Amino acid sequence: MRKDVAWYGVKPMRKGVPWYRVGVVVVTSTAVLTPLAIILYQSFLDAPFFQPSAKLSLYAFRFVLADSDFHRAFATTAALALGMTVLAVPLGSALAFLLVRTDLPGRRWLEPVVLIPIFLSPVVLAFGYVVSAGPVGFFTLWTKQLFGAAPWNLYSLASLILIAGLTHIPYVFLYTSSALRALGADLEEAASIAGAGAARIAFNISLPMVRPAILYSAVLVFFLGFEIFGLALILGDPGGLLVLSTYLFKLTNRLGVPSYQLMAAVAIVIIAVAFPLVYLQRRLLGASGRFVTVKGKGLSQRPLSLGRWRWVSFAAVLLWLGATVLLPLSGVFLRAFVSSWGEGVRLAEVLTLDNFRDLLDYPNLVRGIVNTFGLAVIGGALAVGCYALLGLALHGWQSGWSRLADYLVMIPRGMPGLVAGLAFLWVFLFVKPLAPLRSTLFSIWLAYSVVWLAYGMRLISSALLQVSPELEEAGLVIGASRGRVTRDVTVPLIRFGLLGSWLLIFMIFVREYSTGVYLLGPGTEVIGSLIVSLWATGAIDIVAALSVVNVLLVAAGLAIALRLGVRLHG
Amino acid sequence: MTGPRTLIHALSICGLCLAGTFALAAAPTSPATPPQTIAAAEKEGKIIVYSTTDSAAAAPLLKDFGALYPKIAVEYNDMNSTEIYNRFVSEAAAGSGSADLLWSSAMDLQIKLANDGYTMEYQSPEAARLPAWAVWKSEAFGTTFEPIAFVYNKRLLKPEEIPHSHAEFVKLLKANPERFKGKVTSYDPERSGIGFLLITQDARMDPNYTDTAKTYGKVQVKLYTSTGAMMERIQSGEHLIGFNMIGSYAIAKQRKDPQLGISYPKDYMLVMSRIAVIPKAAKHANAAKVFLDYLLSSRGQEIIANKAALFSIRPDVQGETTMAALEKTMGSSLKPIPVSPSLLVYLDQSKRLEFLKQWQEALGTK
Repeated sequence: MRKDVAWYGVKPMRKGVPWYRVGVVVVTSTAVLTPLAIILYQSFLDAPFFQPSAKLSLYAFRFVLADSDFHRAFATTAALALGMTVLAVPLGSALAFLLVRTDLPGRRWLEPVVLIPIFLSPVVLAFGYVVSAGPVGFFTLWTKQLFGAAPWNLYSLASLILIAGLTHIPYVFLYTSSALRALGADLEEAASIAGAGAARIAFNISLPMVRPAILYSAVLVFFLGFEIFGLALILGDPGGLLVLSTYLFKLTNRLGVPSYQLMAAVAIVIIAVAFPLVYLQRRLLGASGRFVTVKGKGLSQRPLSLGRWRWVSFAAVLLWLGATVLLPLSGVFLRAFVSSWGEGVRLAEVLTLDNFRDLLDYPNLVRGIVNTFGLAVIGGALAVGCYALLGLALHGWQSGWSRLADYLVMIPRGMPGLVAGLAFLWVFLFVKPLAPLRSTLFSIWLAYSVVWLAYGMRLISSALLQVSPELEEAGLVIGASRGRVTRDVTVPLIRFGLLGSWLLIFMIFVREYSTGVYLLGPGTEVIGSLIVSLWATGAIDIVAALSVVNVLLVAAGLAIALRLGVRLHG
Repeated sequence: MTGPRTLIHALSICGLCLAGTFALAAAPTSPATPPQTIAAAEKEGKIIVYSTTDSAAAAPLLKDFGALYPKIAVEYNDMNSTEIYNRFVSEAAAGSGSADLLWSSAMDLQIKLANDGYTMEYQSPEAARLPAWAVWKSEAFGTTFEPIAFVYNKRLLKPEEIPHSHAEFVKLLKANPERFKGKVTSYDPERSGIGFLLITQDARMDPNYTDTAKTYGKVQVKLYTSTGAMMERIQSGEHLIGFNMIGSYAIAKQRKDPQLGISYPKDYMLVMSRIAVIPKAAKHANAAKVFLDYLLSSRGQEIIANKAALFSIRPDVQGETTMAALEKTMGSSLKPIPVSPSLLVYLDQSKRLEFLKQWQEALGTK
């Protein structure tokens, strides 16, 4: 209808300030920066910020930087983050290639299964490892019986790195596999016809082409390493192993009264480590145009043959699943159905269902289960909606605002969930219009959504990155408005990405534990935080039963999603 | 309201016959809360409690309270002691709603709240029945009498090894350093408020404290943040024995797993008490008073002792898990931690850090 197509041109953005985009960025900034500002301010005070006696001072930084525990914790965290990245990134990328591109046996059913470690709260996992592979765990005792010795120490740094590395493989898998799926198969087929084997194709063609996804996941895993809390809390306990977040947790009690200023100072140190990484990540990525791989044509893929490596690869994947899922989960399930365990205990004598009966004595636990499910399903969908809104607002927009937003998005990921949760508690306490919402699930939802912002955004922008601008430009050229192009071209193209994100966020919200700890109260109970709180009080029976409920809830959610045809990847 | 208190003094001076009547008066009586307070509380209709006592242990207490005062709904939140303090102080500063009653085992933090002017004075008619050391300024009230004991694995610790005093324990560890290496557990005073409190009390009570701490260091004592976590590892055999364990939790656990052993030290046995305070800003202050009176009443204490296994602090409540029973068997070796500002000493930062430094040096971990 419109005759002035040529005048509107391909870049209508130049016409004026894009208010919708700016608005979305401003709202996001507020949500991200308010808690950060509180933490920053708090770190430069010598007492909790709400105490009248608090004065500006560098005391907190001086204390922390002079503390030998901090130095130890920092070194351990750096080793842990680096170690798990080195482990998880190659293995995760290889797993993605195997499942997406090759004729690996059983890849249909493996696909949801390899994601299971993401669903599991690290506290649950670590607890499971103690029961199965700890000094008197059943697996350890069996090994001792069979071979005379069990030459590992579950509470060492090496074990922590190994477990953290192996359990973070699915994060790399998710990013890399969704990028691989979007990748045209023509180059690989060409190589295959030219006689290249699967490994050669993986290393020379497929994986280099999804480098942005791999790099993003590497930086993300490194971040996650800096934030690791649950695993270190439980596995580092007996050996006195400290990482930054458990050091931070230790500060809660070190001075007898909560020393928020010290906790804030540690949080600022963590964020200061995170920032250069974001910068590095952007530099590494360079111009994203190089990686546009979805062209306006259909995809047809034939799986590459692994040949004799087929069953070897399959066995390796199963071994990994056994170590990261079966081993800890069997520990958790065992613990949930017995009253005691360990050296010299006959399991048949201690079997019981009491732990589950006890659950019903706690009305807050029952509420917690209901809340968690609602938050994950509805809150997860809302969060993905918000991420998509932001992703679309930034899509194809080169300006100071969008660069600002790129950094903004990474900030919360660098904040330990524990501290972010505390900051949100303060926001909901001291920002009067929000105060009535403190005891509702909204407070938890907002905190979760902000804490996992980087995560959700990466998934959405990964999807957007694969959409070639030609398709959208074609829409603009024929006269559609920017909004129409978004609605009719961009969103349909990324709809699988959105569904995948929703499922991912669902799992994350079910499993999240540290963020809700300080927000926990009547009306805001969620399973993850209840587990941490109960662990701290030592109610192990209940923790085990609740962990099983948590795992079953996730399994049920996943089963329903798969049944309804929601697939993680398009 | 000094009446009942002087009366008690008079009675206790009066002699054994009357004390005997007390002991015989086993039928628990309802709290002596004035009717006008009850009426006002029922009008408020609700009380919010922040507590370290977990819901399952508190359930019989709450059920009975509900039967007695059906018009007062209890919103009971169990959290760990640090959470309670954090949350309350933040909420008080924000001037938004908070708890009407704080019931916590972090004795020092509760006293700090009272000392910092956060709590309300209340002349509870039941307070006169408590030992004098259990009440401070009519603001902080001790509600339980929980022995601090050794907990061990019956399968793996030989009967002759069971320590009956701190001195025996140290002797045992010194005699078998290899056997007990990594097998002894306790609270981490750096990460646990109650653990810190207990070890500072040890430092006061134990004439050879430095040597004791060095012995713990030699066997590489494993430190945790909760009695539950330690008992789990003692039950499994990962550790053999724990010291400074909260006896009430151990008894509750022992009922489920008879393989868990408990030993009361005879040289001195620390006793801790959950302290209840009513915040000045309590929205349902009358309901809080009713609840506090109930906690301290013989009816409430009966349940605290015999259903929740938290040990009654009232001399007139009988049963296995009561102060009265412990006094009979342990006598003067009982060393209750007094509900008093003496607990504030180590909330002074430099003193606290200095103590921790010495502890770590003795342990050889620094």
